[in-house]
Amino acid sequence: MTNKDIVISKDLFEPAHVDPSKSEKIAKASLNFWQDSWLRIRKNKGAVISMIILILLIIMAFVGPFLTPYEYDTQNTKHNNLPPRIQGLENVHWLPFDGTLSRRDGTEYNAYETRKVDAYYWFGTDNLGRDLFARVWKGTQVSLFIAFMAALIDMLIGVSYGAVSGYIGGKTDSIMQRIIEVIVGIPNLIIVVLMILVLKPGIVPIIVALTITGWTSMARVVRAQVLKFKAQEFVLASKTLGASNVSIIFKHMIPNMFGIIIINTMFSIPNAIFFEAFLSFIGLGLQEPHASLGTLVESGYKSMIAFPYQMIIPSIMIALIMVCFNLVADGLRDALDPKMRD
Amino acid sequence: MKKSKLSLLLVLSLVLSMFLAACSGGDKNEGKDKDGGKAGEEKLAAKQELNVLESAEIPTMDTVMGQDVLTFTTANAVNEGLYRLDPDQKVIPGVAQDMPSYNDDKTVLTIKLKKDTKWSNGDPVTAKDFVYAWQRAIDPRVAAPYGAYFMEGKIKGASEIVEKADKVTDADLQSLGIKAVDDYTLEITLEREIPYIESYLTFPLFFPQNQKYVESQGADYAKDSEHLIYNGPFKLAKWDGPTGSSWVYEKNADYWDAKNVTLEKINFNVSKDPQASANAFTAGEADITPKLAQAAILSQFEGTDELLSYQEPSIWWLKMNEKNPALANKNIRKAIALATDKKALVDDVLANGSIVADFLVPKGFSFDEDGKDFRDTAGTYLKADKKKAKELWEKGLAETGLKEVTFTYVGQDTETAKVTDAFIKDQLETTLPGLKINIESVPFKIRIAREDAEDYDLLMGGWGPDYADPMTYMDLWVTGGGQNHMSYGNPEFDKLIKAANEELQGKERWKALQDAEKILLEDDAAIAPLYQRSVNILINPKVKGFAHHAFGPDYSYQWIKITE
Amino acid sequence: MAKYILQRIIYMIITLFIVASVTFFLMKLIPGSPFNNFEKLSEVQRNILLDKYGLNDPVPVQYATYMKNMVQGDLGVSFQFDNTPVTDLLAKRVGPSAILGIEAMIFGGLLGILLGVIAALKQNSWVDYTSTFIAVVGKSIPSFIFAGLLQYYVAVKLGWLPVMFWKGPEYTILPSIALAMFPLSIAARFMRTEMVEVLGSDYITLARAKGASYWQISIKHALRNALIPVVTVLGPLAVSLMTGSLVIEQIFGIPGIGEQFVKSINMNDYPVIMGTNILFAVLFVVVTLVVDILYGIIDPRIRLSGGGN
Repeated sequence: MTNKDIVISKDLFEPAHVDPSKSEKIAKASLNFWQDSWLRIRKNKGAVISMIILILLIIMAFVGPFLTPYEYDTQNTKHNNLPPRIQGLENVHWLPFDGTLSRRDGTEYNAYETRKVDAYYWFGTDNLGRDLFARVWKGTQVSLFIAFMAALIDMLIGVSYGAVSGYIGGKTDSIMQRIIEVIVGIPNLIIVVLMILVLKPGIVPIIVALTITGWTSMARVVRAQVLKFKAQEFVLASKTLGASNVSIIFKHMIPNMFGIIIINTMFSIPNAIFFEAFLSFIGLGLQEPHASLGTLVESGYKSMIAFPYQMIIPSIMIALIMVCFNLVADGLRDALDPKMRD
Repeated sequence: MKKSKLSLLLVLSLVLSMFLAACSGGDKNEGKDKDGGKAGEEKLAAKQELNVLESAEIPTMDTVMGQDVLTFTTANAVNEGLYRLDPDQKVIPGVAQDMPSYNDDKTVLTIKLKKDTKWSNGDPVTAKDFVYAWQRAIDPRVAAPYGAYFMEGKIKGASEIVEKADKVTDADLQSLGIKAVDDYTLEITLEREIPYIESYLTFPLFFPQNQKYVESQGADYAKDSEHLIYNGPFKLAKWDGPTGSSWVYEKNADYWDAKNVTLEKINFNVSKDPQASANAFTAGEADITPKLAQAAILSQFEGTDELLSYQEPSIWWLKMNEKNPALANKNIRKAIALATDKKALVDDVLANGSIVADFLVPKGFSFDEDGKDFRDTAGTYLKADKKKAKELWEKGLAETGLKEVTFTYVGQDTETAKVTDAFIKDQLETTLPGLKINIESVPFKIRIAREDAEDYDLLMGGWGPDYADPMTYMDLWVTGGGQNHMSYGNPEFDKLIKAANEELQGKERWKALQDAEKILLEDDAAIAPLYQRSVNILINPKVKGFAHHAFGPDYSYQWIKITE
Repeated sequence: MAKYILQRIIYMIITLFIVASVTFFLMKLIPGSPFNNFEKLSEVQRNILLDKYGLNDPVPVQYATYMKNMVQGDLGVSFQFDNTPVTDLLAKRVGPSAILGIEAMIFGGLLGILLGVIAALKQNSWVDYTSTFIAVVGKSIPSFIFAGLLQYYVAVKLGWLPVMFWKGPEYTILPSIALAMFPLSIAARFMRTEMVEVLGSDYITLARAKGASYWQISIKHALRNALIPVVTVLGPLAVSLMTGSLVIEQIFGIPGIGEQFVKSINMNDYPVIMGTNILFAVLFVVVTLVVDILYGIIDPRIRLSGGGN
């Protein structure tokens, strides 16, 4: 309030020199939608790091099982329940890779020495003496496969359903929406559990069970978008030019909602991973000797106190995947959301 | 350590009873020092109260409707039948005055009852209470799940009543072979001599029920602990029906042997998660846990005096369905039976004290007149031998003209079962070239249904005894038998079982059963026995006199004393 | 409004009808009998049992009977619990589950909102990152792992709280915390997003320009408006707690409904499974309806109309 008295005289101002020929010039390079999104997501450090981690995880899911001399399903019961031990790190005792376990009274012992095992299991072994390093990566592979497949099917069904419902409109839309409302009203947990019981546990039934109720949110989102676009000029224009309904939906509308579809899918992947883990815990997971992160966590949970590493390692893996997917999805949402454009 | 336990078990077994014995493992907590004895030397704690965990709710307390071991255990504590098992598995009189007297062909038993036993509502326990309960158990209108199973072919008249199904009348029930000669004398008529009848009568299905009380309660009978009456060492309290997740035993001051019951109170709680049970035990919130099978949990307690481990007469085996043409070949079956390293299975995978089973009738379960274990005079069969397994396998494949075989393996969905199945799959596939196994882990009920429908190639299953005689394991496999479910049949085997059931007695009968076992395993390799299971529970070392049983009820609590 | 609610109630009834029918037929597809030791019984004995429970009737007849009884509030009797009516069973067990769920909702919801608000106010600081980390970890680690860890370290090792069972208020703390991790993380993430959006909106800029204090802006203007949409996630969250409680109740030995559900599936106890399903479905649709109506009342921008978005 004190600077009220400052007098701003006119001579402090100077007219700007405007070159009329440059008024139409575009200073920034023209960017398409994807380039634009990439520019913005690049600024989000969390999302970028997550993306890198995810890519590494996916590569490891395929390469990892080949890095150890042990197969994921080869049993050696003489070497069962050995803790993690890594060459070179075994003498660094504050790291959990020195091959020691603790007893109930808190004392520690080296399981490899007491059992006279001359081997290195980087993530330890399970109760059948299978190498957990190989199993964890194999499990990551399976979990990611289930999640991707579930998300993909959700996407296909959801997008088609939503697009058809929104585009045709009228009675059809009304009926299709009522059907969705009813399906959403069914607690998916119950249906999934029953489906698994009827179909017998396995990768395909788990995917089917996950998708049976999972596609509804995608359908709703897509329908809302289609409704929005339907009234817009570019749709009207192509209609006038004689484009067929199918080509309008798939060539003109859906490319415009890629962003939203991708974000929705990105969020449904971690949910699928989580649900798969839950199914494992109530005994409806994959069949031996196959492993998913869910089944690994579940069997590790049973020996949580005696052999904590059996649970902790796959748990970290699940958490890592979930965190990364969530952060990437968040980043994408921010990047693709036109409201957030700067 | 496991070895020494086993040998101690064998020594103990020899000393124990004729009919049933000891699954009692050599452990410090063993209930051998029940009344007086060693426990008397130690100072008793002031508070005789116990906290016990169970892994399930009590499904029913109507003894006639019982079909679950927890019902049997609870009934055995709060009620009493004619006889009961003591900690050494010996049959001792309960409501009965003494052991039964028999007629010449041992088909009619006369049993005198104690005159001073009372229900908790003050009524005396009479012979009529037994007649009433037995008639209820067989009445098709009551549809007791175990009634007909226990009486048919054994108690006179039972089969005829069952045949009548829902057309049965009250008059028909009178034809059941049980009569109250007077209030305190009971006469039981059997179809034929049953060598194990005395231990059979300890089963809670045969417990008495007070007609006046049951009928006055109507549909409310056994609804909760307020709608029951008791004649056992304890009274049930604070049980609010089959869904109740906690209940209490209180000492029954009116029990005829109340002076030998030291415990005042037992608090029961349901805990279904094994690690949680172990946690509660470690924190001192529980004195006795449910049975724990996970090696990872047991390993935390190995070598402490808190872990009680003993073999139970429960055998686990691989069933081979002969409807599958490959499994109809004897050499292939034998190859499968020989291919699994059973020692690694029990020592490394199960790691809970279970023992290798190269036999069908379990160790320490049935004894002849001289107290000799059935197993001591019988052989061992199908000992693991991978080399021979491979030879037989190739021979079998050549005979059947097959090169590669894929079997569907049905197993259960418990943690222990899954690990065991994964191990067996690996063992079979690595030992027998060209074999592929697809495991299907299913809930217990579905396993039973698959077995029933013979919808499997290999099936992991097990059997616990219903009475103390090898026959409970042997008659399962007769041609077309109710439990066969694998299309196995051998007339020679059938003949031996029939003879053991109807003609033979004593040593000859024993011999016939042992020969049948040899045919079943060594000659035909009809099933592949894997292991005899061990029970592991955590028990506070201050608890003395805890007794466990081989069939019917799991445990008896009445001889427990808590020391300082 | 009244028309909207009526319409929603009709959908609820249709939904419940479909849930009941689907579960009924799925249960019939699952092999196995609901009786223990069924394999030991002879054919005659089996038929006696099956007749008694009407399981020998053709499936359509069983279905009609079941639906008729259900409408009259009779959900049949349990097999595993010796003829206990399913309604009694559910009534006895719904208490602990409800207490657990409500405690977890309150604890998780409040703490989550607090975390979210702090994170939004201190955007991109270490506080924000910590809160995001807690939220994501809470969402990504299954609740049974929290339960197991809490039980072992807090109850067994430290002895601060009882290990298990359901005997008093102190027994509810650990399971509630374990169960609350999920709602906590969802609420925190949602709250942060909303709060960031509100803080960036024009009216907050206006308030700031008018010289409102930091706290006034944060609490009076931003928080109140950001809270409104949070109501929409409460419904799905409350329902998600049912999933968690299946396992948590088992680990802590709590006599609730969830704990019974898995066991009933394994026991083929059709009536209990059906009853539990219908109860879950009723809860689900009622909670969703209540949340939608509430949302309409709280947020004047939303107008309730029949269906649609």
